[in-house]
Amino acid sequence: MINRLSPALALGLVLALATVAVPPNARAAQEAPPTSNGGTTSTPVQEEDPDSLDRRPDPVQPDFTVVNLPTSLRLPRFGSAFRVTHRFSRSLGDGDFGDLLSDLFGLDNSAQIGLEYRFGVWRGAQVGIRRTNTEKTVELFGTYDLLPERDGWPVGLALHASVDGTNNFRDSYSPALGIILSRKLGRYGALYVEPVWVNNTNPQPSELVDDNDTFIIGVGGRFRVRPSVYVVGEIVPRVAGHDPGTHAGSFAIEKRVGGHVFQLNFSNTLGTTMGQLARGGVSSDTWYLGFNITRKFF
Amino acid sequence: MRSCRPWGAVLTRVVLVAIAVTATACDEQLSDITGPTPSLEPTFSNIRENIFETTDSAGRTACVACHTSQGRPPAGGLDLSSDPYGALVNRPSRQQEAAVQVIPGDPAGSYLIQKLQGTEDIAGFRMPRNGPPYLTEGQVLVIERWIQLGARND
Repeated sequence: MINRLSPALALGLVLALATVAVPPNARAAQEAPPTSNGGTTSTPVQEEDPDSLDRRPDPVQPDFTVVNLPTSLRLPRFGSAFRVTHRFSRSLGDGDFGDLLSDLFGLDNSAQIGLEYRFGVWRGAQVGIRRTNTEKTVELFGTYDLLPERDGWPVGLALHASVDGTNNFRDSYSPALGIILSRKLGRYGALYVEPVWVNNTNPQPSELVDDNDTFIIGVGGRFRVRPSVYVVGEIVPRVAGHDPGTHAGSFAIEKRVGGHVFQLNFSNTLGTTMGQLARGGVSSDTWYLGFNITRKFF
Repeated sequence: MRSCRPWGAVLTRVVLVAIAVTATACDEQLSDITGPTPSLEPTFSNIRENIFETTDSAGRTACVACHTSQGRPPAGGLDLSSDPYGALVNRPSRQQEAAVQVIPGDPAGSYLIQKLQGTEDIAGFRMPRNGPPYLTEGQVLVIERWIQLGARND
């Protein structure tokens, strides 16, 4: 495996993401919009606390991810969040229902587990790190909310960049760069469209393959069925480049409880990083049970 | 109300992020998978030099040890010592009349690959006959890629 990206360079990349995500000047940062999310209420902005809008719970966008795809939810400056992803590696389609029940839907089997921490470095900008036990993959990522929908734009626009590497960030680096377009549906939910370019999705050297990149257009949605209960779904079609397997897809039900979001999900992939999603799902009839738990610290 | 932003500065920062991420663009190295023949590439001249004519560091025997017309009739009637390209590409196998040694663009259908992999429907032995060691998976992948790209005499 190639080691073109040293850990020091990777750390530099994260710092660069954090640095360039800083709003161009402090004055622009102070100009907070007067309306809150989802068009629910209007609240004057307190100049002494310009980050108050970011700290306010967003009823239609409770989490930083759909299932695996990122959302444009803003993390307050100096706020943070922790997330656990857990995918039971037993396919729900193996054996009959009795077999499935005897394995307690996969709880008796191994699992792909990920731990994630993200931090708000400035208004609208967040960086994070995720470690999964899938090939010991470490993902560094950053998101900058460039055009918040609450500022009056018809859709929100955020930039997302990430790099994941296997073997504790020593091998097979897959950088990704894309945008997150979001649109809230009043009080009832939010939709996301996410065109993303992902590099090095093919495990073979470029001399032996036609494509080493994948261009995906992730589509996701979160729909509020109760005041704090949501139905969630996403699909990650590969529209160009390397596209093994089938398109990754997931659906879930989730519950927001204070600063926690509990999500029970079903996916046709065990992957959670952008590189893993670009490599696709196992098949359209192989589904895995899993859950996400997010805790916000702000 | 939309906030005012100096868009030139924003664009500059966006471009910097794009450059930083693109700079980490990565690829696996071919030499990582070709094992005992680290300089192997999917060109005919390179395959001839590294596979046909060289016994590699893992002990896999050079093809021309048997497939030669120098001092002996070539094994299986396949001479890889003088004109290997003419002996392989679009040429039928002497062991299996319906099989073609190398079909440009069709590595799976090429008898050369089937013999190197030892698939069930080959006649005779998997090559090299005195293996193991046989060609590694990576070495075969390189030959498959050469065939997939049209089996050019490059």
